[in-house]
Amino acid sequence: MSGNFWKFGIAAALVLLPASIALAQDALDADQTAALCHGGGSICVSAKIPAARTTLAVQSWMSPDVGAAWAAGYKGQGVTITIVDDFSSSSRFSGNFGIGTQYQRHGEWTREEASMIAPSATIRSKDFSTGSAVSLASGRNVLNLSYGMYATAGYGVNQIGWAPEEKSIISYATWGSAVVSKAAGNDSVAVGGVTGGQQDYLDLALIGKPTAIFVGALSTNGTTSNKAQLAWYSNYAGSNTAVQSHFLVVGVEGNKTGLYGTSFAAPIISGYAAIIGSKFTSATPVQITNDLLNTARTDTLVNYNPAVYGKGEASLSRALAPVAIH
Amino acid sequence: MRERSDIRGGSRAAAFLLCAFLGASPAAAQELTTSLVDIHQGSWLSDRARGLGNGGYELQDGSWVSFNRWYHSNWVDMHVDFLTQLTENSGILWGFGTGEQAEKYRIAPSLKLGFLTQTHPSLNSTLSLSVTSTFGGNLTEKPCVADYGELGTYSVNCRLAAGETAPEETLKYLVNATPERLRLWLNYRVTF
Repeated sequence: MSGNFWKFGIAAALVLLPASIALAQDALDADQTAALCHGGGSICVSAKIPAARTTLAVQSWMSPDVGAAWAAGYKGQGVTITIVDDFSSSSRFSGNFGIGTQYQRHGEWTREEASMIAPSATIRSKDFSTGSAVSLASGRNVLNLSYGMYATAGYGVNQIGWAPEEKSIISYATWGSAVVSKAAGNDSVAVGGVTGGQQDYLDLALIGKPTAIFVGALSTNGTTSNKAQLAWYSNYAGSNTAVQSHFLVVGVEGNKTGLYGTSFAAPIISGYAAIIGSKFTSATPVQITNDLLNTARTDTLVNYNPAVYGKGEASLSRALAPVAIH
Repeated sequence: MRERSDIRGGSRAAAFLLCAFLGASPAAAQELTTSLVDIHQGSWLSDRARGLGNGGYELQDGSWVSFNRWYHSNWVDMHVDFLTQLTENSGILWGFGTGEQAEKYRIAPSLKLGFLTQTHPSLNSTLSLSVTSTFGGNLTEKPCVADYGELGTYSVNCRLAAGETAPEETLKYLVNATPERLRLWLNYRVTF
C-alpha cells in the first residue's frame, strides 16, 4: 500500500471524536469532513484566534479543584494551549458551558472549554484540516487533540503516511516538547481498539510517548462520597500497561452542558496542565505530564480498575500539592 | 492564654493601677519604689501567629497537613511591666516580654521602656501622660521545604505550598511583623 494511498485514507478518515453524542445529527460524517478540509485542492489556513475570555466564574460542570486553584492564583498564565481541531467546517452544534447557549464548531467548543479551565493561558487555534505542522510557542506548551485519525484496522503505525500536522504532534509527544492531551475516543473500546473495522491510528502512534495523555470521560466529577463511573460511550484504558500508565479520566457532565464525549474531557486535562505549568514555571512537559498522572485519584471512582480508568481521575489540587513538606 | 480583649482589659487594669498608685501614695515617691503594674500573656502578634495555624491542605497522597502543628506554641508571650517612681508625679515604665516560638514562627523577646508623668489641673482631677517604646519582639515566620516529586524541592511558605503562586514566590508572603513600637497614652481622671 503506497504512502499516497495512506495519506488519502487518513484524510478521509479524519474525524472529530463525536462532538456531542446527544447532538450526533449535527455532526459531519467522515467523508463530508474530508471534503471540507481537503477537497478541491483548497488549503485550510491555520489561524491563531484569541480565545474569548467570556467568564472567570467557576461553572458547575467543573471539578471543585478548578475553583480552588483559581483562588490560589493559578489560571494557566505563561502556558500556551494549542487546540488542534475543526475551526473551518460548516458543522456546528449547540451547548452551554454555563454562559448561555451557543452554536459553535467543534474546535470552538473545545477551545472555549480549555480557556474556561485555564483562563490566563494563551490559547491558540490550529485548524486540523490544513495538515500543516503544528508549531510550538515559546515557553511551556500543551496540545489539545479532541479528534482521531481513523483508518482500516490492521496496519502498523509506521505504515501510516502521516501529514506534517500529526507527524509534528507525535514528535512533540515523543521528545517531550509539549504535553499532548488526546481524547480517548467514544467507541466504548480500549484505546487503540478496533471499532467498525477501524482503528484510531493517532491513539496508536501516541502509546508509549512520554508526554501523551489519553483522556477518558466520567459521567460526573467523582468524590469519595459520590464516586464516578466511566461514561457509557468513553473508550477505556484496556490491558496495555503503556496505555494504562498514561490514561486519565475526568468528569464530563453533559447533563449540565449538553456536550458529551471525550472531546470535552481532553480540554480539561489541557487546562489542568496549563495551570500546573503556571505554578511550576520551570517544569518540563514530561514533569507536568507525570505530575498529572502520578496524582490521579482512584478513591473517587466506582470499582477502580486500571484497565478501565488507567491512572484514575485527574486531581488538580493534588497535582499542585507537595509530596511531602517539613 | 488570654483572648485579645482580655489583653486590652489587662492594659486598662494596668492603667488603673498606675493612676491609683501615683495618685494615692505621694509619700512613696520619695523612696524610689518599683511596683509591678501589669502582667499578661499574649499580644496581637501572638494572636496573629496563632491565626496562621488555621487551615491546612492535602498532600499528593491525600494525607492532611494541618497548619496547627507548625503554629502551635506551648508558651504564650508573657509581658511584665513595672513602674519605678521618680517623683511624686513622674516615673519610669519598664518591662519585658518573654517571646514565644513554635516550629514555624518565633516572637522574639522584647524590652519596654518609657516614662509616666501626671499633673492635677484641679483638686479632684488628674491628667497623666505616658510614652513607652518597645525593642525587639518581632514576629518572624519560618519557611518549609516542600518536595514536589519530579517537579523539584523548594523552600516555600508552609501555608501556601499547595495553594499560592509559584513555590519560590510564596516566600514573599512569610509574615514578618513588628510589635507596636511607640505608645502614647493620655488619661484624664476626675474624682467626684
